[in-house]
Amino acid sequence: MLFLNVWSLLHWYLRPLIKWFLRKTTRLCELQRICYGDKAGAQRTCAVENSLMLSRTRDIKEVVAFLDAVVLERRFIPANFDDILKPSISIIFRIKKINTKLHPSFAPTLKRCLQQIWSYRQLVNEVEELRRVQYDSDNSDHELKLLKLWSLLQPNELLEGRVTKQWQTIGFQGDDPKTDFRGMGLLGLENLLYFATEYPQASTHVLSHSHHPKYGYTFAIVGINLTSMAYYLLKDGSAKTYMFNSKISLPNINLFHRFYCYLFYEFDKMWIESKPENIMEFSIIFKKFDIAIRSQLSDPSTVFRINIEIDNI
Amino acid sequence: MGFLTILKKLRQKEKEMRILMLGLDNAGKTTILKRFNGEPIDTISPTLGFNIKTLEHKGFKLNIWDVGGQKSLRSYWKNYFESTDGVVWVVDSADWRRLGDCAKELHTLLREERLAGATLLVFANKSDLPGALTVEEIKEALDLDNIKSHHWRIVPSSAVTGENLLDGVDWMLDDIASRIFTLD
Repeated sequence: MLFLNVWSLLHWYLRPLIKWFLRKTTRLCELQRICYGDKAGAQRTCAVENSLMLSRTRDIKEVVAFLDAVVLERRFIPANFDDILKPSISIIFRIKKINTKLHPSFAPTLKRCLQQIWSYRQLVNEVEELRRVQYDSDNSDHELKLLKLWSLLQPNELLEGRVTKQWQTIGFQGDDPKTDFRGMGLLGLENLLYFATEYPQASTHVLSHSHHPKYGYTFAIVGINLTSMAYYLLKDGSAKTYMFNSKISLPNINLFHRFYCYLFYEFDKMWIESKPENIMEFSIIFKKFDIAIRSQLSDPSTVFRINIEIDNI
Repeated sequence: MGFLTILKKLRQKEKEMRILMLGLDNAGKTTILKRFNGEPIDTISPTLGFNIKTLEHKGFKLNIWDVGGQKSLRSYWKNYFESTDGVVWVVDSADWRRLGDCAKELHTLLREERLAGATLLVFANKSDLPGALTVEEIKEALDLDNIKSHHWRIVPSSAVTGENLLDGVDWMLDDIASRIFTLD
């Protein structure tokens, strides 16, 4: 502990010195060294974010505060990127005395990093907002989504009523799913719905595993627990590896849903492979899964993909 | 000095208690546990399996087991009965529709031999919700007055406001302590 304190104190005083030394010898500022030296994706973007956050230059701090304010207003969307990022980037160029002609590739690379960093921050707010919306059975929009989930997962079976034991087939606890979303609110339902809509094959596959006579589990409830896991990974920044390494898009709600689908698919695999004695082992296997995912995310070069394979269990 | 007395003395040193928290799903067991432990309560998901928390309270070390209440999990409750000192039974006061179910499960539980002697604390939870039944109504629906096998008490509570949680738990600890730690 003492060592850590001494180190962080030393780091605080030495960092400018090291930066100055590197600047003189490489003739590049720290952001340039990161953009040229680090691999594109989580490694580079996280390093840029770290550098910006540690900066003691007033103008850089203002750029950060400005972008945070844009995110708070939910205006950080692709249509606005040019208007928002151009001034920020030119401020950075001015402060760091970078010659645009000599470094043509630096601006687009930095821009990409800024897009990723602040899209992620906006996504955190968006997900938080969705989670806070409690499932409301008087809201027709919520109800329609719930019924849609049923028809996607059980296309050949009609619901006999809104309140029915049939809900247990897709893994809700009782005869009315409305109380099962709990603290995950609408986010839990949206996650499940995305899984069923965008990955019909994978979700059917996972649902059929949940009906396994020996290793069965409650599909929807496990899904809501995985929403909680995805939510915490996003909030504490662990999910940056996934989001920044994605070739599909910038961090946005759909990418979050995809992350969730990945977790669901992988959890199901781990559950079946663990050959659990009964459902009470969920807590232990879930914890194990959480640790495994966190360890994968801690390596910035990890790329996540759903590899759908059909097995014959 | 018999074997039992020695055991009791050993336990006295540690002052350890094992508390089992049960009830139907969505009663608020995990929320009560988190609230009691000072953790945030707005991001809870349904419990599949169990949660266990060890915490210090009034000089006792409490091992609290919070087991999921979903129907398919209830047959596994018995795996957690061994050496339980107190049972916290949590009822959703606003869920009158399932109160019959709730009473049935509770009385099945109390017939269990391994829980003989355990103190029973009933939380009439969510008592702050509109439409919640009163403690008297719940006491009647659960037929608590007919329980002679266990020391029991019912307390209206709200895990969200924190109302009465401490009072209930303190009563239970006193009751357990007077039973297992003072005999010599």
